[in-house]
Amino acid sequence: MGKNAKRAAFIGIGEVPTGRFPETAAIYHAIESAKLAIRDAGIDKDEIDYVMPTASLYSPAFNTELVTCRIVEELGLKNVNKNCQVFAGGSSSSCALQLASSLIETGKAKTVLFVHADRLGTGVTAQGGIDLFSTAGISAEWEVPFGQHYSAIAALATNRYKFETGCTDEELSAVCVSNRKWARLNPNAFFNKKDITIEEVMASKMLSTPLRAKQSNMLFDGGGAFVLTSAERAPDLCPRPVYILGEGGTVTHFVYSQEPDVSRFGWAKAGKKAFEEAGLTPKDMDVAEIYDSYPIYQMIGLEELGFCERGEAGKLFVSGDTWPGGRLPCTTNGGMLSQGHTGAGGAVALLIEAVRQLMGKAGDRQVRDARFAVETATGGTYMDAQVTVLGTEIP
Amino acid sequence: MTTIEKPVPVVNPWAKPFWDAANKEKLVFQHCKGCDKNIFYPRIACPECFSDDLEWIEASGKGRVYTYTVVESNAPSAFVGDMPYVIAIVKLEEGVQFLSNIVGCDPHSVVCEMPVEVVFERLNDAFTLPKFTPMQG
Repeated sequence: MGKNAKRAAFIGIGEVPTGRFPETAAIYHAIESAKLAIRDAGIDKDEIDYVMPTASLYSPAFNTELVTCRIVEELGLKNVNKNCQVFAGGSSSSCALQLASSLIETGKAKTVLFVHADRLGTGVTAQGGIDLFSTAGISAEWEVPFGQHYSAIAALATNRYKFETGCTDEELSAVCVSNRKWARLNPNAFFNKKDITIEEVMASKMLSTPLRAKQSNMLFDGGGAFVLTSAERAPDLCPRPVYILGEGGTVTHFVYSQEPDVSRFGWAKAGKKAFEEAGLTPKDMDVAEIYDSYPIYQMIGLEELGFCERGEAGKLFVSGDTWPGGRLPCTTNGGMLSQGHTGAGGAVALLIEAVRQLMGKAGDRQVRDARFAVETATGGTYMDAQVTVLGTEIP
Repeated sequence: MTTIEKPVPVVNPWAKPFWDAANKEKLVFQHCKGCDKNIFYPRIACPECFSDDLEWIEASGKGRVYTYTVVESNAPSAFVGDMPYVIAIVKLEEGVQFLSNIVGCDPHSVVCEMPVEVVFERLNDAFTLPKFTPMQG
């Protein structure tokens, strides 16, 4: 084993379907996902010694239950030393992964269970969701008084990117087409019944120009979980563990107007660090699970990570390169645009999907012989860029 | 339908001079005497050199639209009645950037790099918001 030998590895993943489940308590999404992840790892539940829930946004009361060890008790985990919430908005999965793997590397934890669950689909009203996302993470002094909200934030990035690159609305819509094709193969995706066309996307309601309704993620209920242990231990427990090979991150802003470049963000720096640490390049990646709360971020992510030249990402989505069977499988669970957005869970689902593809458990959408994957996450108003490189072997 | 009141800025004490100036229809930002950097939004120390030696200076009020969007639907509750309205990031001549609204023009006439200048809109008895309008001539 090489320089990353002490790193952590994934040995189990669990996920419940993303959707609207008015009769289902949020705790079910948490503990069912956790149960699936523990069974997938094939370990005794009492091997878990550290539980790391991330935050739920829909209900402070439910979130407090996550903080106060409900998952540990519901599952009857007997040997947990700490239950500690890790939350960084949409970047929670990446930040928790780095913290959990550091705990494992330093011997502070042996087997970590990470859990996410939320009920943004049925736990809040539609307007309540809009109002939540016109305040959460948006500066109450400098932006809320001007009617700022997340669709507008994505639209501000999209217009500048279009101005600088000449990207078209058809190309932006093609991201939705590509993600929907993957979602069709994903039983946990909400939008998995039929394909969508560029024309349908472009005929949908205008939200904030040039962003249309079908270019927007939708909020749903859902949950996901994973189990990590040391890279040394993993092969004894799991036939195909997934190793954490490289991580890179950068924080660029809190107040959106202070972001130095809304058509690039911090992906180039974060990606360079992650790929360098892994000793790999974008060309080595079999799968790219790129954060997609809106099409613009998936395009910028691919470009800034080095998968194509600036302004060229749109062509990959139009041509089918990113679709099932294409040369660059991208956001293969359907992403937040088609699996659905569950708050901090948007990128949890992408991380789980990257691991699922590498473990060879992706069913009808399995990318053949996938060995290396890159996954991205960002939180708040795209305040940071987090990049993780994973692999089935340590190069 | 009941009218929902507009959210007012939640003001940090060290930013109060900005809002007091806005009430007098002046746009101000901080300037660091230590490193000569112009600073927005207001800070407790210079975000470049960490100096406490900050002063307030008046902006020219002129700048360019860095990026923009016209909100046509799904606005926050208090802004539903304003649709369509323009949200933009404006870069002032002095280098600092604000998020604001572009007013006094057809919302769909706004484009990136359009020259704009500040105007002031009274929000209520306590607050005036700096907004921007296309530069005349």
